[in-house]
Amino acid sequence: MSADRKYRVLVVDDEAAVLLTYRLILERQGYEVVACGTSTAAIAAMQAQQFDVVLCDYSLEEQHTGFEVISAARKIDSSIPAALLTGYATKETADEAASRGIGVMFKPIEIEEFLATTSNMLRRNNESKQEGREEDNRGSQSGH
Amino acid sequence: MATAEIRLQPARMNGRRTTQSRRPAVLRLFQAERSEEIFPLLLEEIIALGNPRALVVDVNLDSGEVTPAAALKWPRAQMEKFTSALWMQDHPLTTILHGARPEVLNKSTLHNRPIYVHPILYSNRNLCWEADRIRTSSCLAVQNSRREKRVRLEDQVCTTCEMRAYAAAVVVELPKNHTEQAVAELGELIDLANRYLSRLFKVEHYYNRMRDMEITIAQMGTVMQSMADPVILTDTQHRVIMQNKAAERFFRVPDEMTEGLVRAVEFNNLLFSAALSSMLVSGSDSHRDLTLVDAIEGEEMLFEAVSAPTYGPDGIQLGTVTVMRDVTDLRRADQELRLNYERLSEAEEVVRQDRDRLNLIIENVGDPIVVCDGKAKIVLVDPLAQELFGTEMDVVRDTVQFQNQTKLTAFIDAFTSSFSDRETAPLRLYNPTLRQEIDYDARSGKIFGERGQVAYTVTVLRDLTALRKVEQLKVERRMLEIEKFAATGRLAATIAHEVNNPMEAIKNAIYLLAGAIPENAAPVYNILKSETERVARIVRQMLGLYRNTEQVKPVNVNTIIEDTLLLLNRQLQRANVELQTELEVLPDAVIAADQIRQVLSNLVINARDAMPNGGKLRIRSRHIPGYDDLHGWVRILISDTGSGIPQEMIRSIFEPFVTTKGERGTGLGLWIVKGIIQNHAGKLSVKSRVGRGTTFKIDLPVVKL
Repeated sequence: MSADRKYRVLVVDDEAAVLLTYRLILERQGYEVVACGTSTAAIAAMQAQQFDVVLCDYSLEEQHTGFEVISAARKIDSSIPAALLTGYATKETADEAASRGIGVMFKPIEIEEFLATTSNMLRRNNESKQEGREEDNRGSQSGH
Repeated sequence: MATAEIRLQPARMNGRRTTQSRRPAVLRLFQAERSEEIFPLLLEEIIALGNPRALVVDVNLDSGEVTPAAALKWPRAQMEKFTSALWMQDHPLTTILHGARPEVLNKSTLHNRPIYVHPILYSNRNLCWEADRIRTSSCLAVQNSRREKRVRLEDQVCTTCEMRAYAAAVVVELPKNHTEQAVAELGELIDLANRYLSRLFKVEHYYNRMRDMEITIAQMGTVMQSMADPVILTDTQHRVIMQNKAAERFFRVPDEMTEGLVRAVEFNNLLFSAALSSMLVSGSDSHRDLTLVDAIEGEEMLFEAVSAPTYGPDGIQLGTVTVMRDVTDLRRADQELRLNYERLSEAEEVVRQDRDRLNLIIENVGDPIVVCDGKAKIVLVDPLAQELFGTEMDVVRDTVQFQNQTKLTAFIDAFTSSFSDRETAPLRLYNPTLRQEIDYDARSGKIFGERGQVAYTVTVLRDLTALRKVEQLKVERRMLEIEKFAATGRLAATIAHEVNNPMEAIKNAIYLLAGAIPENAAPVYNILKSETERVARIVRQMLGLYRNTEQVKPVNVNTIIEDTLLLLNRQLQRANVELQTELEVLPDAVIAADQIRQVLSNLVINARDAMPNGGKLRIRSRHIPGYDDLHGWVRILISDTGSGIPQEMIRSIFEPFVTTKGERGTGLGLWIVKGIIQNHAGKLSVKSRVGRGTTFKIDLPVVKL
């Protein structure tokens, strides 16, 4: 990915004030941000456009969890980096997140940490994607 | 007894008589100095009176034989007829001897011519000295002389002086024309001679008696001297009359006189005198213990003096005989015996007390005690064990007791043959009193015999049911406390969570406002920012509590330490903290792992913060066994080489919202640590020196259930 296109970040949180501040912080950082207040809205947004990273609150409306949103995102893009933003996480939650390659950030989140983690996820994912693409190119060339 | 010897000496007399001029018969007989001279003189006088021949027959009073003893002018051949014996009653000589009266036999079987036979018998007109001295009239010589009471020839022994008398007969052949006058004169002569004879005889008897006495005295003296015990004869004034050699050793001043010896002897004499006086006074009790000094050896000897008075023939006390027995060894032996007996008694007393004490202990142990011999056979049980195994060792009728015994014997058997000196094993026995099976802790020890073999085994059965129940309750309560703490944590977390989102928004908003604040509002903005960050930290801490949702279960604390350090290792490295761990083998502790993890995490973070310029963090764990097998502790020590805590702060560091970290701390870390450790019934303490470092010590209880 290059400078010609901005990274697109999906932020999900059921607290409107929190969601707004996340959006503002990320936008100030130069990301293109889509902010959703519910899991349904988030899943709908993902179907409408592609994202580079998903940052999702763990507990959402009506017993919905961040895992659902991330699962939906992974259905579309299996390698999409994702992180849970949560005030608390049980060991089981933390273990599940770790096993699925989902990062966990505990609220209150240090903004520096928040931004660093996000950009790290994007950079790592971008690098691995480029490598994959190069490999694909080599494969198609040899096929010809 | 002495008897006068009458010798036959005819030849000598013949030669002498004819040549010398004659003196009156009385004077000649008077000249006789010895009894044996009397008969020859008498015979000579008889012949001198004009009698043709004469002889003397002597009676042996021992054998009763009558034989001629001396003769003058009597043909030897004719003398045989005068041999007789006292029992020959028809012999004329015997008859006359028994009759004790002189007789003239004109015609007899004895001689063909008339003879005068005059019997003579030991006789005196006066009492002898002996009879005189002891004032008795019973004198044989006088009795014979007076003829008041005839004493038979066979019984001629003096009852007073024990002198054996003599008897004889003078036989004189009378001339043809003898007159009665002449016979009477002859009788008088013979009587006179007999008187002299009796007198001499008596003297000779006394001489013999004296000689006998001397022999007796010599014998007694020898006996006395040869006695090993001192024997002393004293007079009534306690003056020593006689003493044997053994006594001289103590009472006689020795030849080589040294002052010490003399003093010793004098002292002995003094003591002896005193003992004698005391014995004399007491009268009946005539023995005393007497310590004397051996004048030669110089050592003290203990004697038992036994005294007896000596009396004269007149019944007057002459003195005292004292025999002393050396009882030194005897008394020493006696003393030793007594001492040994006392020692034995003391030892016995000690043993008895020990036994009583032991019995008291056994009675008060409150647990069944069983003593078995080397073959695992029960030899002793206390009352509690009796209920389990019965009173009779050999015959058990009760099935329950029999089953219990079988179980016990199996255990003891294995233990006896094992190599360990003591052993603890669970033993499930049926308790008839409680009517239920009880899990006993059988604790056995061995008592070894002289040869190192197992002589006895002692087994104490501890009923740990009650104790286990109490421990179970404690654990349950602790779990409840932990749960309560967790619930509190949950409440705090719920509140924190509710605060969290608004705060997240506030915090983000403050971030977004940065740069848009007028310069004069900057200080206010900074307060807003820092205080919000502080609230954020508190909320984060409170939310941390809620994450501890794990259950309480047995966990190895070492694993928790390692987990925690793994998480924090990077932070420590970054802070330039050198980590050092010493983890010993630990038993599992029943704990909430997450809570303990938080404790460790809090303390490690604190340590790190105390060492801003780096340092050393040392974490140690060890097992502290308890006073019994049931309890114990797991100890965790967390030491840093940091700045330390000032003494005045030590008391308050566990209180909430107290911090040394200023703006960066919440003041909740140690408060949470304290709460968690308290909930686990653990102990928490801290030692710190400013500039040197701080050590936190945590003891978590371990219970073997």
